[in-house]
Amino acid sequence: MKKIGIYPGCCFQGADIHNYDITTKFLENMGVEGILLERAACCGGGVIDETNKKIVYGLNARNIALAEKEGVDLYTPCNTCYMIIAKTKLALDSDPELKEKVNEILAEEGLEYKGTAKIYHTLNLIRDFVGLDEYKKRIKRQISGIKVAPYYGCHVLAPNEVAVDDPENPTILREVLEPLGVEIIEGYKDEDTCCGYHARFTEPEQKERLAIKPLDGAKEAGADIVATPCPLCHKAMDGYDEPILQVTQLINVACGATPEEAGINLNKTEVKLSL
Amino acid sequence: MKKIKYTARIKRYNPEEDKSYWQDFEVEVEDSLTVLELLMYIKDKIDPTLTFRAFCRSAICGSCAMIINNRAGLACKIQAKDKIKNGVIKIEPLKTLKPVRDLVVDQEPAFDKLKKIKPYLEPDPKVVPDNLKSESLVLPEEFARYDKQTDCILCMACYGQCNALKGDDQYLGPFQLTKVFRFIMDTRDGMDVEERIKLAEDHGIWECVQCQMCFAACPKGISSCDDILELRRIAKDTGEENIATRRAKFWFATVFETGQIDKLNLPAVALNNEKGEKARENLIKEFKQRGIPEDEFGPKPFDGIDKFRNFIKKIEKEL
Ligand code: SF4
Ligand code: SF4
Ligand code: FES
Repeated sequence: MKKIGIYPGCCFQGADIHNYDITTKFLENMGVEGILLERAACCGGGVIDETNKKIVYGLNARNIALAEKEGVDLYTPCNTCYMIIAKTKLALDSDPELKEKVNEILAEEGLEYKGTAKIYHTLNLIRDFVGLDEYKKRIKRQISGIKVAPYYGCHVLAPNEVAVDDPENPTILREVLEPLGVEIIEGYKDEDTCCGYHARFTEPEQKERLAIKPLDGAKEAGADIVATPCPLCHKAMDGYDEPILQVTQLINVACGATPEEAGINLNKTEVKLSL
Repeated sequence: MKKIKYTARIKRYNPEEDKSYWQDFEVEVEDSLTVLELLMYIKDKIDPTLTFRAFCRSAICGSCAMIINNRAGLACKIQAKDKIKNGVIKIEPLKTLKPVRDLVVDQEPAFDKLKKIKPYLEPDPKVVPDNLKSESLVLPEEFARYDKQTDCILCMACYGQCNALKGDDQYLGPFQLTKVFRFIMDTRDGMDVEERIKLAEDHGIWECVQCQMCFAACPKGISSCDDILELRRIAKDTGEENIATRRAKFWFATVFETGQIDKLNLPAVALNNEKGEKARENLIKEFKQRGIPEDEFGPKPFDGIDKFRNFIKKIEKEL
């Protein structure tokens, strides 16, 4: 069985603990063995930069090194963790001096950043690690009669250097959702507007103003639910009129899980799936 | 030279009727055109009323920013053929500024915001000599701290699809905040850092959602989102405490302690009011309802946490 390192970010912590079950179940459904990188630490979340940007390099060089030590690539379902870790990888791979200095300090923990591990997010994991054909084979049943609005979130499409698909005309999310049997609603208003998650504790009202926009756009366009790959977008946008789910939750259901097993009952805004 | 056929789908705006609409232009042109040259071709050969702004044609003057295939950039810097998707290239005005006509937007509100942050040097008499004969000394490593940021050509590509502006049209904007950073870093500047930070805080740094779109748009590779993080760091270290600075301090402290953030207590610490306490109580209630064991409410340090803490300390000091 193919193996991959599961990076535990804050989306597996506290009230979001079920995201870990969703993730491991998803990997199981994909026929991939997930190895939890137990000593991995927070990616910085775009917040530790406010203390010291260098720590963010250190944290993520170390996170990647932990995967490399296990001989696996690194997988995170979170858009933001993905972007920050991938950005750090780019920085380390293009700056030998930085890499060397980080490695000197990492050596004390018996770790080394080599640059061999790839960084995966759910979307490129399905396309490049599992393969779309294999993915389709693993879908057991169709979730029909539901209109789904794909919502990428920002950090899988920007910055361009780490985007998991063509950032101008991405299609990967459609390609992942279509095999589930759902009807896709694209081109809705504010589909590329940010969910506002990262303003939650800097300017809470800003988050409120933004989170509702893509939801309203999707609703207006006739979507029953919004589907995002990102657990943070999910968290930011759950609790309004229009329901939102994570793509992996839908995949798990299509692979045989009950809605409850897929954590769908934990949604603040209720979702009804017909199977 | 090879000729190619495609459709230029341009979003036009007619101020007389206050109407926006898409118009398709079928073209057969050399494959070497920039988007700006494509627009000039259309204006010259098909529709002389097509209106856009441009001047230098070489990514210097900053006039020709627009949205090309859903992403902001300079029309004179981008090759048209790279942007043709399914035979179509989509061109529209910057999104967060009002169109004046077709692809020309009213830049005035963004310039007004730039003025608000005092985008000029207030010479520090200790560094800048009071006569014109001597120069002020800036060391290369001092200049390196804001070298990149001085490349800004005020094209507004970053501003044109900034997400914070979609939530608050009074948001200062990415290039304006980069300017604040640039002057704070300038050793010749005499304005108090606190004053510059105050200017950056008003509909500013705390409203940014870190979406990275400004960086993705900038033709000069300036990362306003990173500059904003630096400004937040400076605000945290020099300015007044607020929800965001409390969150940043607590975030780092708990990561240092356990490797992870303490999401149970973060809202209470950041909000620092009754609402925050309520959030904590509600979380605990939710945990219990869901049968989550108490020792899983918050993060626990992993094995070898001491080594991790040493690692962080060393990174802070030595990297
Ligand atoms: S990162 Fe901040 S400043 Fe940059 S585009 Fe996004 S919201 Fe605007
Ligand atoms: S920061 Fe970049 S995109 Fe923004 S105005 Fe300056 S040059 Fe243009
Ligand atoms: S025309 Fe001057 S920057 Fe494009």
